[in-house]
Formats: sequence, C-alpha cells, structure tokens
Amino acid sequence: MDELRTLFRYRQLIAALTARDLKARYRGSILGFFWSLANPLMLLGVYTLVFTVFFPQQVVQPYPLFLFAGILPWSFFSAAILESSSSISGNAGLIKKVMFPAEALPIVVVLSHLVHFALAIPVLLVATGIFVILGKVTFSATILLVPVLMIVQTIFVAGLAMAISSASVLFRDLRDLITNLMTLGFFITPIIYLIDRIDSRPLRALLRVNPMTPFVIAYQDLLFFGHLPGISDTLLIVAYSLASVALGFSVFDRLRDTLAEAI
Amino acid sequence: MSAGSAIALQHVSKSYRLWGRRSQFATLKSALLKRDLRPAPEAAVPALIDVSFAVHRGEAFGIIGRNGSGKSTLLKIISGILKPSSGRVAVSGRIAALIELGAGFHPEITGRENVYINGIMLGLSRREIDARFDRIIDFAGIGEFLDQPVKTYSSGMYVRLGFAVAVHVDPDILLIDEVLSVGDEEFSQKCIAKIQEMKYRGVTLVFVTHQLDQVRKLCDRALWLDHGATVAAGDPVRVVDDYLQQVAGHVAPAAPAAAPAEAPPEQGKPEPEPEKRSDPQEEERWGSGEVILKRVSLVDERGHDLVALGAGTPVTIEMDVEVRAAQEDFVFGIAIYHADGSCVYGTNTDIEGWMPQRLERNGRVRFVMPSLDLVAGQYRIDAAVHTRNGRAFDYRRNVIRFVVGSRVHDIGVYRPQHDWQFQGGIHFSPVDLLKRNVPAPMAEYIRESEEKE
Repeated sequence: MDELRTLFRYRQLIAALTARDLKARYRGSILGFFWSLANPLMLLGVYTLVFTVFFPQQVVQPYPLFLFAGILPWSFFSAAILESSSSISGNAGLIKKVMFPAEALPIVVVLSHLVHFALAIPVLLVATGIFVILGKVTFSATILLVPVLMIVQTIFVAGLAMAISSASVLFRDLRDLITNLMTLGFFITPIIYLIDRIDSRPLRALLRVNPMTPFVIAYQDLLFFGHLPGISDTLLIVAYSLASVALGFSVFDRLRDTLAEAI
Repeated sequence: MSAGSAIALQHVSKSYRLWGRRSQFATLKSALLKRDLRPAPEAAVPALIDVSFAVHRGEAFGIIGRNGSGKSTLLKIISGILKPSSGRVAVSGRIAALIELGAGFHPEITGRENVYINGIMLGLSRREIDARFDRIIDFAGIGEFLDQPVKTYSSGMYVRLGFAVAVHVDPDILLIDEVLSVGDEEFSQKCIAKIQEMKYRGVTLVFVTHQLDQVRKLCDRALWLDHGATVAAGDPVRVVDDYLQQVAGHVAPAAPAAAPAEAPPEQGKPEPEPEKRSDPQEEERWGSGEVILKRVSLVDERGHDLVALGAGTPVTIEMDVEVRAAQEDFVFGIAIYHADGSCVYGTNTDIEGWMPQRLERNGRVRFVMPSLDLVAGQYRIDAAVHTRNGRAFDYRRNVIRFVVGSRVHDIGVYRPQHDWQFQGGIHFSPVDLLKRNVPAPMAEYIRESEEKE
C-alpha cells in the first residue's frame, strides 16, 4: 500500500492543488460556481422536457426530482473519470520536470469534482423543499446518509481514476474509448428510468453488472424514495469500491516508472 | 555510499524506450492478450551507460557535454524523476531540482497562490512557506504583480518567481539544469550570487550547463559525458579543457608530446577513478602541446629563482615558450591561488587587450610585478598558453609554489602598501621594529611559515 502512504504524505499538496483547481475554474467569472452546476441542471432540464412533454411516461412522480437524484452522482462519476484520463498526460511538465507524485493528479481531479457534487446538493435540497411545499413529497431522514454514500463513491471513482489516468498515458486511445463508454453508460444506468420497469431478465442482469447501477439506485433510495438501499446493492457498492481501489493501485504501481518517459 | 557522499551513483545505465506511433492501437489489445499492461517498446536507445560517481556533501559538481549526451537524463535520475534501467542511485538529503523554472505554475491563479503551491510541491509545509514568503518575494522582485494571475507575467517574471521559490526551499542538494542562462544579465548574476551563497552554506550543488565558465568558476569537480558515457571527471578546469580540446577537433585529450621531465606522469589522462577527489595542490598539466611552457619560474629582479619571499618583494613570472606549431590565436595567462584554493588574482593577455599576431618561434614571456603585496601564507601559480576561446595548448596547474613570510601576523591575502598616521592626541610608543615587515633571511621566513601550517 505504498500508494496510500504516498497519498497521505502529499495530502497538503493534494489539498492545495484541489483548491487551485477550483479557484482557477471560478476565477474570472462571477457565475463560476453556477457554471459548474449548469451541466447537471441542463441535463435535468432536457430529460425533464423529453420525458414529461414529448414522451410523457408516468415513471415516477415528481419526475425532475427523481432525475436529479440520479444525474448528480452520474455527473460526478463521468466528469471525474473523463477528466482523469488526461490528468497525467495533460500535466507532462510536472511529471517530466518536477519531482512530483503522479498519483496526486487523478486524486485532485476526483476531489475537485466531489466539491462540485457537494455544492449541488443544496440545490437539490431546495428543489426538494419546493416539492415538499407543493405537498408532493416529504423530507426523509435518509438524506443524512448521503454524505456516507458520497465518500464511498469517491473511493470507487478514485480507484478507477488512478487506473485510467496512468493507463491512458500509454494507451492514448483510451480516452476516446471512455468518452463513448460514458454515453453508453448513461443509458445503461437506471437514471432516467426505474430498473424494476425493465421486463427483460437478462437486461436487468446486465444493468446490475454496471458498477454505477447500485450507486445510482442507492442515491435514489436515500434522496427520493426515502428508504435505505437494499442489502444486495449495499454489498455491491462495497465490493465495487474495494475492487476499484485494488485495480487502481495495482495498475498505477505497474506503470509509475514508465510515466515520465512515455508521456 | 560513503559517509561524506550526498549523491552516489553506481554503474547507472538508462535506456529510453521508443514507443511507435503505428502500434498505439495494437498495444491496448496486445497488452490485454499478453496480460501485461506495459506495452513492449519497439526499440531502446541508451541514454546513459555505466555511469558511476559520488558527489561529496557541500561540493559543487558540474556536468558538461554536448547536446544529447545524457546530462539532463542524469540529473533527472538523481532527482528521482526517472528511474535508472540498471545500477544504483543513493541520495541523502532534501533535493530541489531546478530543471524547469516555474514548472507547475498555474496561469489562472495569482503569483502569491502559486508560490504556496510550488513550495508545497517542492516539499515545504504551508507554515514553512509563510516563514520564507517575504524573502521569496523580495528575491523575485515582481512587485505589485504578486496578486495578479501568473498568465499576466512576462517570461522573465515567471522565471524569477520560479527560481526564487526553488532556492528558498533550503535544500541539502540543489540540481540545476541550464536555468542560469535564462533571464536578463542582472538576474542571472543574482542567481549565481545566490548559488554561491548556498555553496558556502554547505549545500551540495549539481550543475548541468553549457556555460563552461560557470563550471570553471563555481564547481569543485566536473564530469564530462559523451553519448551517455563518462569521458573525464575531476578538476573542473581540466575537464572543461579536455572537452574544449575535443570540440576543437582533437580526438583524444592528449598530453604535450615529448613532455619535459618535470611533468607528472599521469598528465593528459582523464581521471580514471571518479570516486577519488583530485588533490587541488597537486601539479597537473594538460593541453594539446602545439605550444608548450617549457619552464615556468618565479624570479627576483636579478633572475634568481624564488621559493620564499617577503611581502612587497618585486617578482617576475617567467615562462619559456617552445613553439611546435606556429599559432595566430594565442593567449598567455597566469593565476595566483592561495593554499585554501581561492583565486587571489588571475589575468591573461587577452583580458588586457593584447591582440595576438604571430607565435612563430620559441621565446620568453615575463609577467613583471614591481611589488607582490601578499599576506604571509602559501601560494601556488597556474600558468597557461591557450587559444582565445580557452582551448589549452599547455595548461600548467600549480606549476609554482611559493611562500610569503612575514613577522606581522596580519590577516587576509592582500596587503596593500600602507602606513599608519596619527594626528592630534593619539600617541603610541615607538614601533617595535622587529614586528615591521623588514627583510630577513629566507630561512627564517620558511621556518616561520612552516610552523604556522
């Protein structure tokens, strides 16, 4: 677990770089923070429009709130993974010219996207509050468990990000592959629909194999339905997180020494 | 690694692997098939071949060589950015590497914030940076730009800030790659002064540079790399000169042919054992031998050899010049060193505006000093004849040793001719003439200075 020790040793650096990332993103635009919300909000708007106006499907009510609960963790996942694929190759100067712990780079990407995610939660709460006032839903205490789920998801995302950031230095095509996988991933994760409405058994099995499925379902359970996630989903979440971290560390460990050359 | 080494490299080799473009898409698949994530390189290029040396604590070590000789690779291996393909690297102490100044600055955030980030990258804690912040800013001299985003900086300001952070990290070992050549003259002087200050404080320095003057001036030892292999290591003046000989088209560093008998036997050969610290007192000689300094001597007004003298004695350095091939580009130079290695004085005909015309036959060069105003101690003289770009025909290091004796225990190296004068109510009893610097028998001077050693 050399990586864990390295990451711990460089925690100040990671914190400083994350703060730098966020500052750089928000500097120069008053609406900086809102722009980082724009992506999930626009997705939310588009899908709400499509599935309530164009193809009204009474999946579940209120639909925007349901969408919101799934889109936020998905955006966190996909944005962090996509960006991490260029986190090392995009910082060639650091890797080649400075004694720099390369493992910090994907972690910084994940953490700064976690901050975006966390900043979107209050917006979700406000939206929920509106629907509470309208009398359509009620607040549930399970919301308090969301931070725990976010931490577990961060671990899951960080492991994948480490593997992808280092592997994409050697395999430049990996990034294109991931971009396409993310588009597919959005639709094979039960974000815009409920997994129970899928009739085909093999298809449901396929959806279960998608590691993001149990995470998204758990968020929906906590935020929207107001009950605890099922045992099987919880176990899958823990298993995927552990597997992801193991994968990330082992891939990174094997590639670390070649990074400064191959970049 | 011996106790005194800050850096020790043993049989370090490094090959760069070439990654082909066409195979990019194949590699992901083949990597999965082979169950090995590291794609096979198409070819390997050796960058360093069996390099061994040790840098002692507090030493300034220069690495020279032409482009592509492996200098920067060597520096990156010492810093840990690259791993050697084989061999061992041992480094003790905190390293700061000035490989690229300002690498890691983020353009969108302010100079102030970048100083913190850069400092943390170089291994400082936030509190340590707080303590150094004013000194860093003062050194960088970027003024009101401190709170502007770095993207608004001129490239000079960028470099200054990068250098300022790096040297204030208080490293035990400072690695410097060509960075002294950036920035304006004033700033590069400031950098060199700062580096000298660090050297005095005992920081181990490793330089990679094309500015051979810096190597001669700043370094205690130098290493010459060519195609990744060590060609020579040792005395910087000599290694630089060997290098210049080769650049000038002389295949191997050669001793003056048919060298005079007093020349030491190991002359002309590169230092074979880089671990060994060359003795700075030892007489050494190198050069192409087209012109040689057959005899170099320190004589008094009547032409008698001197080995010991009193302060203020008139002396002349005489060089008997033997011309084996006529030259049109030639410079005669001398340098006087104190026993501690510091240069007391150095000059040459080129510096003083003597334009060479012809050096066609044997002759004699006399460097006449009406009064050698040195404080008591041991001194050495280098004499050389070389081209204007520094390629030596014959360089004779420590060719003369002499002792300056004195009854007055004044300190320093230079004794200006002087007198004490008192006016008003200041009175001394008559001077103790024995303490005055009156000429005395040679033997006494020698004995006195030997007792002092």
